[in-house]
Formats: sequence, C-alpha cells, structure tokens
Amino acid sequence: MMINTLWRLLWFVVLCLTQVLVCNQIHLFGYATPLLYVYFVISFARNYPKWAILLWSFALGLCVDLFTNTPGLSAASLTLIGALQPYLLELFVPRDSVETLPASAAMLGKSKFAILASILVTIFCLVYFALEAFTFFNWQNWLLCAGGSTLLTLLLILSLETVRKS
Amino acid sequence: MHNLLLFFTRYSHWLLFIVLETVSGVLLFQYNSYQGSVWFSSANYVVGRVYQADASIRSFFSLKRVNEELTLRNFYLEREVDELRTKYADLTHDTTTQERTGIEYLKRFKLVPAKVVSNTLNRPNNLMTIDKGADDGVKPDMGVACGNGVVGVVYQVSSHYSVVIPVLNVASSHISCAIRGRGYFGYLIWDGRDPGYAYVNDIPRHAKFKRGEWVETSGYSSIFPHGVLAGQIEKVYNSPDGLSYRLKVKLSTDFGNLRDVYVISETGTDERKQLLESANDLQEQKSR
Repeated sequence: MMINTLWRLLWFVVLCLTQVLVCNQIHLFGYATPLLYVYFVISFARNYPKWAILLWSFALGLCVDLFTNTPGLSAASLTLIGALQPYLLELFVPRDSVETLPASAAMLGKSKFAILASILVTIFCLVYFALEAFTFFNWQNWLLCAGGSTLLTLLLILSLETVRKS
Repeated sequence: MHNLLLFFTRYSHWLLFIVLETVSGVLLFQYNSYQGSVWFSSANYVVGRVYQADASIRSFFSLKRVNEELTLRNFYLEREVDELRTKYADLTHDTTTQERTGIEYLKRFKLVPAKVVSNTLNRPNNLMTIDKGADDGVKPDMGVACGNGVVGVVYQVSSHYSVVIPVLNVASSHISCAIRGRGYFGYLIWDGRDPGYAYVNDIPRHAKFKRGEWVETSGYSSIFPHGVLAGQIEKVYNSPDGLSYRLKVKLSTDFGNLRDVYVISETGTDERKQLLESANDLQEQKSR
C-alpha cells in the first residue's frame, strides 16, 4: 500500500512537471494544447476509495494551476473527472474481474479503454475551456480549443498506454 | 440521527466533491480581483524555482538571437543620440548640456534587472513571472520594460518573484501612450488575438500623424517614464463611435522571445500618486 502510494506520488510529480514544462508550451495551430495530466485520474483502479481519488485529482489540478496562474481552473475540472471516473469505470469492467482492477488498456481491452478515456477527456476539455472562457466568451474558439485539445490529449494517452503495455 | 449519520458516511465522497469544487470556484473567481493571494500564483517560491531552472536552460539556446537583436537596437540608438547631439550643438553651440541633462534625467529612475522565468502568449489573459521580488525593491504597479520597449506592469509580488501583467493581457492596466514627437496620447490595449500587435485608442480626430511613426509611453501615468518605446503605427481605424482614431500598433517588444527585462521604479512617483489621490478626494468632497 505504502509503496503504491509512493509510486503514485512520483507519477503525480512527473505528470505535473511534464504538463507545465512541456505540454503547456505546445499550441498546435494556436488551439490544441495537450492536457496530459488527466491521464493520472483516468488510470485509478476499480474500488480505489472515492474520497482519495477526489483529493488526488484536486491536488494535481491545483499544482498545475499554480504554474499557469489560473488557481481553481484545472482543480475544478479535474475534481469533476475524479468524481465521474469510478462510476464510468464500473460500466466498462468485465463482469467476473478482480476487485481492484486497474484502469488500463491491458486490463480492459484496447477499445474499451479508448472509449473510457475519450469520454473522460472530452468532458474534461469541455469543462476546462468553458471555465477558462468565462471572462472572454467566444463559443467558436471554445469548441476549437476543446476539440483540438481532446484529440491531442487522447492521442498522447493512447500512445503512452501502448508503450506501457508492451 | 442514526439515519443522518448513515447518510453522511454513505455519501461522504459527494460532500467532499462539493467542498473541493467550492474551494476551486472561490479560487477561480477571487483571483480575478486584485486581492488574490500571491501564494496561489507562479510567484510562489517552489513554482518560481522550477520555472527558473527551466528558463535558464531555455535562455541558453536563445541567447544568440537576443544578443543580435540588442546589438542592432543599440546601434540604432547610438546613431540617433549622435545625430541629436550634433543638431543640438549646432543650434546652441554648447556640446555638454546634453550629457548633463541626460544624466540628471536618468538619476530619477532606479532600474532593477530581472529575468523572465515563465511567460504565456496564447491566453486572452497572459501573465508573466520574473525572478525579482519585494526583497529586490519590486512593488506592485511598477512598470516593466525590456531593451526593445514596454513589457507590462507588476501585479503581485512575493519575496523573490513577481507576477507581471504584460501588454498582452485583455484586462491589462491600459498603459498611457503618445505618438512620438506629436504628443497626442491614448491607451494601449490588446484584443486577445495576435501577440505581435496591440491597439491605441482615443487618439483625437484632429491629430496629424503618419503610418510608420513610433508610439511611446507618454509619462502621464505614474508607472512608466516618458519615452519608453511601445511600437510602430501600422494601420489607422476609426473608433466605433467615430469620435477618435484607433491605431493598430506593431509592438516593438517580441513577447515570444523575452528573457531580460528591467523593473522601473521612479523616485518621486509616490509624491505624484499622493497628489493625484488628494486631488480626487477633494473633487469627491466638492461633488457631495
């Protein structure tokens, strides 16, 4: 349990730094920015305590926010994903699977994981850019940003998942 | 009572969810006001250190270009000073005044050199972090400029880092600008689109100027001294109400490649600010 938490903490720091130092510098066509840190929340195992998922996702969101000077923005959207993840995952797990099944392509199957990830990433990007646009509303811009970022993030997550599997 | 407890234990995670979302919401909306906490910004010590390490690596690779740009600008300025000096000497037959007044003028300002450690361009409300803070004498509302022109205004200050609102911020504190040599002034604003261009509003209809002329800070606000470069007039539009001109200005500062900046503190601005405030108070009292 302890070792698991330490690994998760390391994964937390790595994802946070990757996001703020690498991913945030990418603006493909001026719209698409990969929001890779959602991956952290998507990959929580089945039956992981729900309150812990919420706290983890809030903490990661807040850390990323500190770097981008947008306190509350990622924290709010990532906490929402943290709340939805256990319920969505339950829909995708096979009936006779272990209690603590990790949410990964290896365990769920590639297509199921892809669907799960795309639902969560889409919701996340829509909420994130909607909150960001609060002060500067322009719905076409919002859709372009959310759409572009969703695609880019999914691409990254799925390729990472393939690398991890092999 | 028992049922209530059961209810809370069963749905505790939803309560936690609501609490966390409320905290985020409060942070999100509070930060837009001026009183946002420095702790929740990139001026926070740990975040500042990470960005500093990152910036030092990045700046290593862009030093050459920055150097070239500065050398070029230095060359232009030197030519200009030279030309002005000869003209002045021709007119007054006094070759030393220019040096004397120049030094007097510069004495009024204290410049704090700083490095940009993080910067964004793609948001409507871009912010920038620099590696100097209250311990180095930086205070909120001081002007920030670089070798090529204006950068922005200090927003929040921690002991070692500061957050700057650059010109590239839709909600930026509109910097007072004037057309060089003409004196007509207006406010520099950004529309949230191209980071290379900004607009100057409120230039009166009777003003005479040409495209390609330079826009610089007017010195009317207490933030920037007179004559810090802002950009070059590229296009002239009518304002929506038709009462004034709106200038499209090509910014002289390249925000995508910004490393070295300096914070300007003008000795005597406090006095000017106090005067302005007391004048405002008087006016309010009279109108009552």
